[in-house]
Amino acid sequence: MAGREAVKRAVQQVRPILSVDREEARKRALNLYKAWYRQIPYIVMDYDIPMTVEQCRDKLREEFVKHRNVTDIRVIDMLVIKGQMELKESVEIWKQKGHIMRYWKESQDPKPTDFLSKFIQGVN
Amino acid sequence: MAALIRNLGARAAVAALASKHVVPAVGGAALRMSTCPPTKADKPTIRKPDAVARTHLSDFGRYVAECLPKYVQKVQLTSGDELEVLIAPEGVVPVLQFLKDHHQAQFTNLVDIAGVDVPCRKHRFEVVYNLLSLRYNSRIRVKTYTDELTPLDSACEVHKAANWYEREIWDMYGVFFANHPDLRRILTDYGFEGHPQRRDFPLSGYVELRYDDEKKRVVCEPLELAQEFRKFDLSAPWEQFPNFRNANPPAEVIPPQPEKK
Repeated sequence: MAGREAVKRAVQQVRPILSVDREEARKRALNLYKAWYRQIPYIVMDYDIPMTVEQCRDKLREEFVKHRNVTDIRVIDMLVIKGQMELKESVEIWKQKGHIMRYWKESQDPKPTDFLSKFIQGVN
Repeated sequence: MAALIRNLGARAAVAALASKHVVPAVGGAALRMSTCPPTKADKPTIRKPDAVARTHLSDFGRYVAECLPKYVQKVQLTSGDELEVLIAPEGVVPVLQFLKDHHQAQFTNLVDIAGVDVPCRKHRFEVVYNLLSLRYNSRIRVKTYTDELTPLDSACEVHKAANWYEREIWDMYGVFFANHPDLRRILTDYGFEGHPQRRDFPLSGYVELRYDDEKKRVVCEPLELAQEFRKFDLSAPWEQFPNFRNANPPAEVIPPQPEKK
């Protein structure tokens, strides 16, 4: 009885954002991926960025794979909503070239990992 | 009445004693207290709420709570004469619609929507709707609560003005509004990550922008502070506003039913 109570307390009834089950959330994420994938050639052309379509698609995949361990349906939905907003900003050319290039983080040097380069750069 | 009689009795006794030229200390104290009662210092800087307006507001608040018992959780008066209605998050649209369309309310004007973030709470965000009734020259505040992932219903179908206010709340706090016609960022730059008005967002932000002369465009880099973050203790040891020590209480809850006489 106590166990059932605990389960009831743990499984809290929440209001869904968009999707009601995992399958729907997965479909939404895939749809977003496809939409980005199809828009990438136009984005490359419109913004005139110094990247190829393949590089952009690799970056797109990387951005999605970054969240591969997210299991909460509502978190997935929120990420999909934000990705959708970003796609719209890119497609409507509200962004500028610098905003698109921000995904690659070109001007940031990768942090040193081994002891000697850390020592030379003076970071712990 | 009994106190008055006692007082008169004490005064008579003191008079009797004084006629005998023996004034006991206790009697003298009683006399002094009765002749000049301590006058309450009048502070013109503190606004005193009108008692009639207060009763009208609390009656109206009670009426709202009776009409919408499903959604209204608490009705309170803050800083003396500001009516606040605290509602459940699923009741935003019905409550605002009621306040707008009820003939005795006519809160047709949405002045502002504000957000509050208190990270220690279970529902960390408060969303506050400030309404104005031009017909009755009165204001009301509707408060509700949510967390990062629970969507609120958009008030756009009731008040057109809610459109940009809700976009602002979305941008600053990350509260999602369901059924909003055009929910997107409004204040932050494209590509900005995070919600800057959340308490856990640092004041300096996470990134900084600079113009790169080689690339001929603005680049975005993670923020590097030149020195360690210092904690400044800015609270003074003395009292800041002694005049407001006995000011109106921050919030007075209006009980749902007045006492039957």
